[in-house]
Amino acid sequence: MTPVSDAAIVLATRALVSGYEPDLPIVRGVDLQVTKGEFLLLLGPNGAGKSTLVKTIAGLVPVHSGAILHDGADLTAMPPHLRVRHGLAFVPQTENVFTTMTIHENLLVAAQVLPRERRAGRIADLYAMFPDLARLKALRAGQLSGGQRQMLAVARALIVEPSVLILDEPSAGLAPKVVQDVFANLKAINAAGVTTVLVEQNVKAALAIADRAIVLVEGEVRLEGDARTLGDDAVVAELYLGSRHRPAEARR
Amino acid sequence: MTPQVLMDGLVAGAMIGLGAIGITLTYSILRFSNFAHGEFLSWGAYLVLAVASGLGFLAGGPASPLGPFSFGWTLPVALVAGIALTAALALVVDALLFGPLRHRGSAVIILVMASFGAALTLRSLLEFIFTSKPMYFTSALQIARPLGGGLRATPDQLLALGLAAILVVAIHLLLTRTAIGRSMRAVSENRQLAGIAGIDVRMVIRTVWIFGAGLACVAGVMSGLLVQIRPQMGLDLLLPLFAAAILGGIGSVPGAMIAGLIVGLAEAMTVQLVGAEWRAAVAFVILVAILLLRPRGLFGRPE
Amino acid sequence: MIDLLSYGAFFLSVALTYAIISLGLNVQWGQTGLFNVGIAGFVAVGAYVSALLTTPATADHLGGFGLPVAAGWLGAAVATGFVTFLVGALTIRLRSDYLAIATFGAAVAIHLCILNLQSVTGGPFGIGFIPRAFAGLADRPVAFSLANLALLAAVVLALYLALEHLARSPWGRVLRAIREDEPAALALGKSAVRFRLQAFALGGAIMGLAGATQAHFIGYIAPDNYQPILTFQVWAMLIVGGSGNNRGAILGAVVVWGIWALSASAVAGLFPAEQQARAASLQIVMIGLALCAILLWRPRGILGEARIMSRHVLRAAPTATPPPSTKSET
Repeated sequence: MTPVSDAAIVLATRALVSGYEPDLPIVRGVDLQVTKGEFLLLLGPNGAGKSTLVKTIAGLVPVHSGAILHDGADLTAMPPHLRVRHGLAFVPQTENVFTTMTIHENLLVAAQVLPRERRAGRIADLYAMFPDLARLKALRAGQLSGGQRQMLAVARALIVEPSVLILDEPSAGLAPKVVQDVFANLKAINAAGVTTVLVEQNVKAALAIADRAIVLVEGEVRLEGDARTLGDDAVVAELYLGSRHRPAEARR
Repeated sequence: MTPQVLMDGLVAGAMIGLGAIGITLTYSILRFSNFAHGEFLSWGAYLVLAVASGLGFLAGGPASPLGPFSFGWTLPVALVAGIALTAALALVVDALLFGPLRHRGSAVIILVMASFGAALTLRSLLEFIFTSKPMYFTSALQIARPLGGGLRATPDQLLALGLAAILVVAIHLLLTRTAIGRSMRAVSENRQLAGIAGIDVRMVIRTVWIFGAGLACVAGVMSGLLVQIRPQMGLDLLLPLFAAAILGGIGSVPGAMIAGLIVGLAEAMTVQLVGAEWRAAVAFVILVAILLLRPRGLFGRPE
Repeated sequence: MIDLLSYGAFFLSVALTYAIISLGLNVQWGQTGLFNVGIAGFVAVGAYVSALLTTPATADHLGGFGLPVAAGWLGAAVATGFVTFLVGALTIRLRSDYLAIATFGAAVAIHLCILNLQSVTGGPFGIGFIPRAFAGLADRPVAFSLANLALLAAVVLALYLALEHLARSPWGRVLRAIREDEPAALALGKSAVRFRLQAFALGGAIMGLAGATQAHFIGYIAPDNYQPILTFQVWAMLIVGGSGNNRGAILGAVVVWGIWALSASAVAGLFPAEQQARAASLQIVMIGLALCAILLWRPRGILGEARIMSRHVLRAAPTATPPPSTKSET
């Protein structure tokens, strides 16, 4: 890992241990450093704790020990809604929109975080960014297709103009063509200056848009490197890119 | 059957509806049936009675009746204070009991059981403080006035109906048109997502307790004004409240009020046709029917 | 000395009748996770059925049929099992707290029926002259109370052994599997509902039996014996003893009934006569607070929960997608 100055680090975890049950840590001592503007990819086999790690950062999973730092503040004990106000936005894998509300209401709910006078303007910005959402804004979110729903979830997260956007497997369950669109959107959002942390199973496509990748295995960081070269790594190849069976995991 | 049955049923039903709104709101946000909700009605009535008596004492004697109503100025003033006090009581119970259980991730049924224990404690405390002797807001007697069409009502009854109507419309508009209403709907659908969408879930939960307990206080005072105040009144109303909340469809405010009116009317008709001793069975019969025929209620969404 | 002995026997006998109710509740709650708030109503059904079957014929109410006590007990268990089955069938597929509301409503309705159907139940006056077991010993109080205590102890022991056996039987294992593993329960589909319903009705039948033993021990029943406070007491007993644990259910009944009796005599001794009704409500406050305190601080009861009780009953399932990794890797 290339040493970076603290000022450039926008999100970090220090020896983070977390999990749903007190006696069952899933994330086991992860040190993460995300630099401003970068696109970080989190990889790992099923059950490696990637999802739990990002949920912990979002405030949804209890922290057993360690710390979560964001923009110079310690978020470890902060409730989820304040992390959002602090500029840390999270898009869960499932149940990521309010299905009983319209698209517009979904965005209104998220915009409540902003000062009253900025709400309408910010929603208009997002409609400009995602014209499909503007067209369908009176539709209940429960009626949207998988891709549209994902788009709404991302738009909802972007309402607060976050410094860091974290996404948990946004491509899960989507058709390949739609996945391409989602990834293109993410790339554009990152290019506009939003630091992005992405959990993905769709390894090849994700490595193509990320700057750096981290491989988690059994709740610990196993590998870390440049996204372009990591694709050539033997362990990564064994875990993901080679044959379908995963000897390293199967032996456990 | 006389038209009077209609009036009695509507008045009782409005009161049940207000209580049921509280149940349906706490249920849709907190996801459990609160068996202690009936006690908020009783506590509301007693708290208002205590404040009103205190005010009357300070003013040097009971206030003279306001206009056509049976009560003086102390009651409306005490009602405002009572709403605040009942809301505070609900917040205290939540902070001491439900909150810790919620944070621990306890199952729904543990919360139901805790509410059961809280109901027992709250009711017996009332009995200890005020004894089980019935009490009244006023000793003035009211004469029902003809309204035309054979319908008669006391001014108090008409006031209760009017107040219930205003409160239902207000709560409904608040839920559908305002930011706090949207937040409540968001938390009701998905509490985790609401948190990461920036909603302060704890604030929403507090708001729901305040609304639920405040409405319960109003319903309790209505019941006390039209009938009497007893420590058991909340327990006796609990089944009609649950029946109305389920009949109306959990989460639906207008549904809870309409269902409350249905339960009230059915009770009044039963008293007329079958006998007053069977009134308490009506809510159970309605409950069984709705669970058999349409468990999601009249206006509820399928689970 | 003789007095103490008869009082001890009397106290223990009453406690054991509660222990039977508590064992029935443990089948429903501890082993199956079904929340019953209508215990008082189901106990009342058992008490009245048995009383009607065994009392001599009278003009005051239906029956009695003058049958032997054993027939009364059996009838009580069957009838109550059937009533609980009906209530369960209504709600067991729905949300878990709808069962609580329905049982609460059933208790209200049952209480209303025994109060109002005077021609069947004797109404507010209740039913007296319920035959007591070992009536032949009635002129020798100590032998009489000891014989009754022995009978109740035998019933509790038999039930305990049967329930322990049942928990380990294939039937008990299926129940456990249904409770601990929701996907398995879903895969079982309709038969999962049937198993839970069977457990609920079995628990109800045991409560009905308890109502009958109580009625025959005291010899007199009235609607006021079956108020919600009875439900609260039994819940306190099971929760104190530790739900899911049959031994805990019995111990909890004895402990809570002991505390209740002690505090009742404290109230009688400490407060002037005109304040006693008022002070008695403090007893109930105490039970309510104890129930909440145990839920908060010792959710597994004093004896703790037997391995039979699942963690899933006490903890909510995570609302989001379950952590994929947690169990499989450890």
